[in-house]
Amino acid sequence: MTSDNDRRRGLLARLRGRPVARSRGRRRLGAAVRLAAALMLAGGAYTVFAPGVQAQDNPPLTAAANEGKALFDVSCVTCHGRNAQGVEGRGPSLIGVGSASVEFQVSSGRMPMARQEAQALRKPPQFTDEQVRQLGQYIQELGGGPQVPQGNNLHENADMAAGGELFRINCSQCHAFGGGGGALSSGKYAPSLRPASDRQIYAAMLSGPQNMPVFGDNQITPEQKADIIAYIQETLKHNQDQGGFNLGRYGPSTEGLAIFLVGIVALVFASLWIAGKS
Amino acid sequence: MKRRKFDPAALPAKTAGAVDDRFQVATPLRKLLNKVFPDHWSFLLGEIALFSFVVLLLTGVFLTFFYEPAMTEVVYDGSYAPLRGTPMSAAYASSLDLSFDVRGGLIMRQMHHWAALLFMAAIVVHMLRVFFTGAFRKPRETNWIIGSLLFWVGFLAGFTGYSLPDDGLSGTGLRIASAIMLSIPVIGSWVTSSVFGGEFPGTIIISRFFIAHVLLIPGLLVALISVHLGLVFKQKHTQWPGPGRTNENVVGERMFPRYALKQGGFFMVVFGVIALMGGLFQINPIWYFGPYEAWVVSAASQPDWYVMFLDGSTRLMPAWAISIPIGEGYVIPPLFWPTVVLPGILVMISLFYPFLEARHLKDRKHHNLLQRPRDTPARTAAGAMAVGFFLVLTLSGANDVIADKFHISLNAMTWAGRIGLLVVPPLAYYLTYRLCLGLQQHDREVLAHGVETGIIKRLPDGRFMEVHQPLTPTDGHDGHGPALDYVGWVVPKKMNRLGALGPAIRGFFYPIEKPAEAPVSPGHPPVEARPEREEIGSGESRR
Amino acid sequence: MSTHTEHQAQRGPEPLDVNDPRLSRFEIVEEGARRDDIEIVHYEPQVVPGSKAERRVTRTVAAMFLLTGLAATAFLIIYIWWPWKWEAGRGGDKYYTPLLGVTLGIALLGIGFGILTWGKKLLPKEVSIQDRHDQPGSPEDRKITGETMLYMADELGVKRRPLLGVSLLAGLLPVGAVVAAPLVGGLISNPHKNRQMFTTGFAGASRGERIRLIREDGRPIRPSDVSVGGQITVFPGIEGGVSNKHADSPTLLIHLREDDAQKSREANARPEIGHAGYMWGNYVAFSKICTHAGCPASLYEQQTNRLLCPCHQSQFLITDNATPIFGPANRRLPQLPIEVDEEGFFVAKSDYTEAIGPDFWERP
Repeated sequence: MTSDNDRRRGLLARLRGRPVARSRGRRRLGAAVRLAAALMLAGGAYTVFAPGVQAQDNPPLTAAANEGKALFDVSCVTCHGRNAQGVEGRGPSLIGVGSASVEFQVSSGRMPMARQEAQALRKPPQFTDEQVRQLGQYIQELGGGPQVPQGNNLHENADMAAGGELFRINCSQCHAFGGGGGALSSGKYAPSLRPASDRQIYAAMLSGPQNMPVFGDNQITPEQKADIIAYIQETLKHNQDQGGFNLGRYGPSTEGLAIFLVGIVALVFASLWIAGKS
Repeated sequence: MKRRKFDPAALPAKTAGAVDDRFQVATPLRKLLNKVFPDHWSFLLGEIALFSFVVLLLTGVFLTFFYEPAMTEVVYDGSYAPLRGTPMSAAYASSLDLSFDVRGGLIMRQMHHWAALLFMAAIVVHMLRVFFTGAFRKPRETNWIIGSLLFWVGFLAGFTGYSLPDDGLSGTGLRIASAIMLSIPVIGSWVTSSVFGGEFPGTIIISRFFIAHVLLIPGLLVALISVHLGLVFKQKHTQWPGPGRTNENVVGERMFPRYALKQGGFFMVVFGVIALMGGLFQINPIWYFGPYEAWVVSAASQPDWYVMFLDGSTRLMPAWAISIPIGEGYVIPPLFWPTVVLPGILVMISLFYPFLEARHLKDRKHHNLLQRPRDTPARTAAGAMAVGFFLVLTLSGANDVIADKFHISLNAMTWAGRIGLLVVPPLAYYLTYRLCLGLQQHDREVLAHGVETGIIKRLPDGRFMEVHQPLTPTDGHDGHGPALDYVGWVVPKKMNRLGALGPAIRGFFYPIEKPAEAPVSPGHPPVEARPEREEIGSGESRR
Repeated sequence: MSTHTEHQAQRGPEPLDVNDPRLSRFEIVEEGARRDDIEIVHYEPQVVPGSKAERRVTRTVAAMFLLTGLAATAFLIIYIWWPWKWEAGRGGDKYYTPLLGVTLGIALLGIGFGILTWGKKLLPKEVSIQDRHDQPGSPEDRKITGETMLYMADELGVKRRPLLGVSLLAGLLPVGAVVAAPLVGGLISNPHKNRQMFTTGFAGASRGERIRLIREDGRPIRPSDVSVGGQITVFPGIEGGVSNKHADSPTLLIHLREDDAQKSREANARPEIGHAGYMWGNYVAFSKICTHAGCPASLYEQQTNRLLCPCHQSQFLITDNATPIFGPANRRLPQLPIEVDEEGFFVAKSDYTEAIGPDFWERP
């Protein structure tokens, strides 16, 4: 459970508005934080294992979280159950997934899901940014979990080249070199990164939505995450490429299609004209 | 003696005289200028391949001025910021420099790559033309063999070139190539180790591929192409059957000036299309792929289109390994069948097809007249079967991209490919065979009864019938003339094609009115056949 | 048929006297063609000299050539003055190559279609018929050539002096081998030197050295670095471990969920697999090099625990000891036995216990 503790420690530190860099002060906080984490875990476990416990037993929610709870009870409760404990066969428990997960799923329109299928699709979001924040706050206060830092631009002054290196090792196998996404087994797929915002990419790395592996802050530090986001946003997202129209960046398959549909077709028409009678 | 004044007008004649004195070229040159070539659009497909090869040589030489075939590790410090500071091989760094730091280098790289794809595509389309029209029959079997070899040598040229930039995608391709070599029974590991100079990837493979790509393979290609063209020249081009065309003559245009002018113009058009594609369509953006690192890969890793059918066959192959329990045990991995055995069989079939067919039909004659695909249903259907086979494999080579973009399950795509590979070729054979027979039937009907006019007549007894325009003078008996023989060429099927070889309305995209004035000029009197030559009839039957 | 045409040619008019001043140039051309067995049966000018039609086509061709000049000039101007250095995001540099392509393409198509139109529309249409003459040589010629060759063979007298033939063969065979020897001898390389096909960068671990799992930047890895449901690519912590020198060593370290880890441990303990103790806690490490064709099989699906290889779609079930469950791969991914050393970093317990990467003949 060390890893969970570590992650929680970083998160708590950030919650208090401290810089994420390892500092002596932060380490001193260790004991207190571990205690808090243990309590939180125990709380989470309690809520999971004791479905009968009602909301009144939880610590009081902040105003934003109350707003979020209202939204939750209207739109999410069918599948994720009261107090986000999950409904067998419909939706998982959201205890401990953190606001990062909520932010990714709801702001990209994947949640609420239209129907049960292999994988939730990206859709126009049904909630405003403010509502997403409130929902996230509610889930965060219910069970804790990873959170995305403040701000909409998370890649200021980041190192694109370092991000590219990390992208190729950790991301390109599923999302492809060009960020266009790719197929996974049995109908699942890695989505295109082009419509994703900074916050969504960050949240996805932190929370590992659906079949994506989790890239916690110990594996890829927040600075490195910023580098990756910089690489995606600055080089992959622009549809304008150095070499002309990029054919969707699908690689040799569309290039092969193009040589027949454009090259061969054009030249066959030319030869029809050249050898024609007129 | 009076010294003659310099006369510039006499200079060409004098020079020509001087050249002929020394090289005796007048007679052979006359023969060359007079050589007759038949004219048909499908005879220009091979030229596309030839011309893109010329473009490949031109752009390729440019690339060698900047490319460095070495795998020594350098740290990139060029203009492309997202890779700056990344350790990579000198080959990859110089390919990046070609794209970002050599002015106009990127368009040269892209033109080279598009020309390579076009070269292979034109070879395939040309081969299909030759196959479906029976142009490979005696006496042209040798040229068919050379053509097939050109495809496979071009395949090697393409693969070695694809590997040279040493980027993430091409390195993955090399890794698979090494696995294919490893899969060969008994000698596999020795072959791989010898080619790569030790364990994959080693440090020498790029230099070896470079010399193969710029010297050995192009040398072989030039030699094969020269012999190919020399044989076309020597044996004279085949022609379609038609009025005046027999197995013993060539009907067409003399090489100069019109034919040569068209060829020159077509070269420029091919070059122009490659330039447009090289500028407008991005190909192989190596800067996204990053340097080759054995642990880096991308979704949708594919080879170029002409290798994709092998990738497809590999994807479709079930996981059948053959274990041989002798001694410590040996294994033939499943990779061996689709990547070594299958291409081996394909090479052999393509090389020997002309002989197999001649043997089957007991055909030892010379054939200079082409056959319409519908007249040889068995061959056409076999060709369609081969095309179907190739298409299923090629599509399976891109099945992950198709699965992703059309939201189909990847596993379903694999199964569709496996089943398709068994179902599509026989289906293609059957359908093509029926189609050919149907077209033949229709030709014969038109020859016997005439062209459908679209005029419906009601007979006195109340029946309706369509009026047919017979193709021969009627004998007044029953409205039918003597039945015409089919001569292996287009039968007019519409009224406005009667009496004309080409369409009655001229113009390619829109009709052009024929000028009313009779084009006669003193310099070019209209020429008629010598009286002693018989009038051109409907030509000889194709047999 | 050939003799037929020859007769015809003989029956034809006597060869013209090409020095006759009354002959037009075209008549001389026609006579030349006739001497090459070519008959120009149809020769029809397409335009009347000086006619409107001729002027129109001439203007079109001229316009195409001028367009070429224009496009080529534009190409040069763009080539020299357009800002072409790469910048992040959108920018004028992204138009450099397309503009070069368009101008060059237009220039080339201009010449091409100009020449084609010239040839197609302005030159007279013709139909010429040339005899093929592709009959084999006459039986007499065949006989003469055959006899000549046999005569040469007789003169050499290989039949009468068999020793010459045998000794020549015996002499030439080794020469052929000499040609092949430097090529084969220079290229050949023993694949089993240092058991390189059966060992990886982790080989030191089997000899008792401590080989840590490191990241791509060289830092060693603690268990806490990988979250539950996370994966990380690790390398042997040796000199050149993170390089293509050890292309067979990249390994995927996965942190499984508790129940998945339990399944995985059970699978490892099965007697036919015998990998009990290869996992550390809920962490499991498999070779990243696909056993099918050697691509990095690294598309890890954290919920289904499948690992997909992007090259040929082989799918491995991680919780069942990376058994292939779909696609062309036929062998499990080799598993790296791991543990954590006293400083809290991952180390390899030993090297892989089987050959990694694609199968080959002598692997088992």
